[in-house]
Amino acid sequence: MNFEIFLPVIVPIVMGLVVGIVKPSYENRNKVVIITTILNFFLVLYVVFFKDNSFYHMVKINEFLDLYLHPDSIGKIFAVLVSSLWILTTFYSIDYMGKSKNLNKFFMFFLITEGVTLGIAFSGNLITLYLFYELLTLSTFPLVIEKGSAKALNAGKKYLIYSFFGATMVLFGIILLYSQTQNLSFVPGGVVGSLVFGNKNLYLMVYILLFLGFGVKAALVPFHSWLPSAMVAPTPVSALLHAVAVVKSGIFALGRMTYYVLGWRVIEFTEGNKYTLILVLLTILMGSFLAIHQENLKRRLAYSTISQLGYIMLALVIFENSSYIGGMLHMLFHATVKITLFFCVGAIMHYEKKTELHEIAGIGKKMPKTMISFSVASICLIGIPPTNGFVSKWFLAIGGLDQGNYLIPIILLLSAFFTAAYLIPIISTAFFKGDPSKKIEISEPNNFMLIPIMILAAINLILGIFPNAIINTIQIAAKKLF
Amino acid sequence: MINYIPILNILILILFSFIIIIVKNNKKVKFISLASNIFVFFLSIILARKVLTQNIITLSLGDPNNLLGIEFLISKPEAVIGLIFTFVMVMILWYSNFYLEKEVSENRISFFYLLINILLASLLGVIYTNDLFNSYVFIEISTLSACGIIILKDKKENIKATIKYLIMSTIGSGLVLMAIAYIYSITGHLNISNIHEIIITNYQFHRNAVLIILGLFTVGLGIKSAVFPLHSWLPDAHSSAPTPASAVLSALVIKVYVFMLIKILFRMFSYEIVNSFIIMDIILLLGSMGMIFGSIMAIMQKELKRMVAYSSVAQMGYIVFGIGLGTISGTAIAIYHIIGHAVTKSSLFLISGLLIDKTGSKKIEDLKGIGKEMPFTLGLFTLGAFSMVGIPILPGFISKWYLSLTCIEVGRVPLILIILASSLLNVLYYFPIVINGYFGNDNLEGKIYKAKKIPFINLLPIILLVISMVVIGGMSYNLIGLFNI
Repeated sequence: MNFEIFLPVIVPIVMGLVVGIVKPSYENRNKVVIITTILNFFLVLYVVFFKDNSFYHMVKINEFLDLYLHPDSIGKIFAVLVSSLWILTTFYSIDYMGKSKNLNKFFMFFLITEGVTLGIAFSGNLITLYLFYELLTLSTFPLVIEKGSAKALNAGKKYLIYSFFGATMVLFGIILLYSQTQNLSFVPGGVVGSLVFGNKNLYLMVYILLFLGFGVKAALVPFHSWLPSAMVAPTPVSALLHAVAVVKSGIFALGRMTYYVLGWRVIEFTEGNKYTLILVLLTILMGSFLAIHQENLKRRLAYSTISQLGYIMLALVIFENSSYIGGMLHMLFHATVKITLFFCVGAIMHYEKKTELHEIAGIGKKMPKTMISFSVASICLIGIPPTNGFVSKWFLAIGGLDQGNYLIPIILLLSAFFTAAYLIPIISTAFFKGDPSKKIEISEPNNFMLIPIMILAAINLILGIFPNAIINTIQIAAKKLF
Repeated sequence: MINYIPILNILILILFSFIIIIVKNNKKVKFISLASNIFVFFLSIILARKVLTQNIITLSLGDPNNLLGIEFLISKPEAVIGLIFTFVMVMILWYSNFYLEKEVSENRISFFYLLINILLASLLGVIYTNDLFNSYVFIEISTLSACGIIILKDKKENIKATIKYLIMSTIGSGLVLMAIAYIYSITGHLNISNIHEIIITNYQFHRNAVLIILGLFTVGLGIKSAVFPLHSWLPDAHSSAPTPASAVLSALVIKVYVFMLIKILFRMFSYEIVNSFIIMDIILLLGSMGMIFGSIMAIMQKELKRMVAYSSVAQMGYIVFGIGLGTISGTAIAIYHIIGHAVTKSSLFLISGLLIDKTGSKKIEDLKGIGKEMPFTLGLFTLGAFSMVGIPILPGFISKWYLSLTCIEVGRVPLILIILASSLLNVLYYFPIVINGYFGNDNLEGKIYKAKKIPFINLLPIILLVISMVVIGGMSYNLIGLFNI
């Protein structure tokens, strides 16, 4: 029995249900949520270090309905990312959400979502992943519509319809695939192998269906429009949706599908990646273009996410060792960077009630630590050396060049320029605009909010300077694939 | 002794229905009815256990080769369907023991139990029987008693709905009778096994007659089981009937006729014969249309029970679709969907009854915020809705999954799109109820938490139904393996 693998998944879900049913007081609930997320982080670490190549069958009824967990190195990296960022978000949200009503319901789904996301990280086959993927939609939906206004409900419905539409396409793909392979488990290099010969069109169809289906959650253009709408959610939720929970689960599922189920050789044989590459490049450019025009800070970051997700998806359509490493690195780095940016914007929203770009003139003087953290994260995202964004983009560009595709480095550079164009104005407005003669008192956010922000900013810097440990881990995973 | 259980089941139910007439006290009536049904449920368990080890039980009363010989044939599908149906019926009766007074006047309560007993007897009769005349008799009994439980409520809409149902299903019975007459004139038998032996050798000589017979059976039984374009009686009847009656009608009654159709198509004729006629394509088309249009019409409904009733039309589409694929695996999934949907839809109807009773309104509009007042009840509804939408492991997902695989098997991949479109449409009508029930400031304003809570004991039958739904989903692989006709 490897029940320990199941613990990180089930503990938050059970604790979430406890919070939802018992309805504890404000203080008790905070204690429960903090303890659960911290405990879960250690449970994940235990799995990461002590559970190599082990399986846990949640439900095994027959060969098809075999739901099991099987953490491998990529899954473990994702799990550590999820569980560590979840702790910081917990502290942040306790301050951000304040004492508004219905918070027990909020934290119930907050915890359940963590369990479900870890379920995605540890899934051992496509059908388990699909189950958690559907559950993720259902458990994040209440978080998105937390405000309960008509606008929030509409955004939530949009999110739900997009997600189910995507999941339906995924299901179609899975059915077609299962009818051919009778096997949906994750194996490095895929389970299809030589079956593809003579069935090229069918596998092309499977690939396109799965890519578009999982792409909905990964905000692939043209299925991206739910993401800016979902900005109606409270900021910690937006931060989580963007950084780890939803969009990264989409990316993670895409990675599983590309490298562990179909196998990149099969996809290359079907030439499906030629079509998806176009969509990915479109996603990168369109996200950056649209971000520049957003006046609302959260929406600006939302479009930026769309563009950055495009970078990560590059690794899934260009089958090169270095682009794979770059993509996985960018998945991690973007998570820490984007959550920092969102936390800073959320702090401004919460304490200053300002949401638009022109309103924040001079705010850098009022909240220097927050805005400096924001600047650090921005520089990382733009990719100025020696930050982490530079490292990941470097690998991505090398991967493109390895394939002899000169378009990719050019687009990467172009998009880096755009990234600067939509982030620098925020920094310059915050620090340099406004009336210089006006005396402004420093009023930073509460420590519950400020400390997570500063920790994250520090993590961003450290990862940029010492990325080698992570690169080595990813390289080991990549070796099995290429 | 065990071999006599099929006839015992039917006789016990009918016998107790006569006792119910004599008893005046409503409480005693409820007890007698529930006790007889529980007894039949246990007998069905014994029967199912026996059949699962022994494959087939036949029980002949009189010489089966003789025209008037009655024969029961219980193979695995019959045994399992009989078991699930009696289980669902016990749960519905348990529920109606505390619920029925809310909708039906005091002096008619005993009628309900009387009719329910006769109805279940006739349904079991249709399931178990192996000869056409016998099945015709049971079909007629079931139609009349079904009419009876709709009209119990004595409102204008009920009378209208019942007359509509009565007329349409009489037409259906007429067509079935005509088909039986034709088949008798060709083969000289009424026993399904005997007919099979004869028809399989000489159907080539009677191609037109066989086509007409197939058409008559399909349309006749199709009307009774509300297959898509013939469904117009169903929403009126199922939404106006008292809630336990709606649950019985939607979960059990319409399924029996479609199961009869399965027996006629594949046991009396054979896969080979029916696949050589155009009829299977038509059945497939009807199923596909039902899946899509049933859902679309459900989306447009304003009343909760009408919506759930239209959802039944869509779900019948799945069953008919499975039949229309014309393979053993397609039929097995159709039968699986019969039992999966029986437990799901009965629980959904019973919950709808509670919601309507507590809010005092039939409208979906007025259910906003109900999740705060009745969190647990709506939670059960949500689980049922998850099955309809197709969350993995629940029966709805299993049916869709295997139906899609069968589509691939027979080389009709585009049909998967219809299955998936229909499951997306299910999201559109089930989820708004759940979402508006639990979320939204406007919806929750002024609602008091657990204000309309229902005693646990009253919820227990629904909980058991929902649990059995999950179990049926979990055991799907083994169950589908049993269902080969």
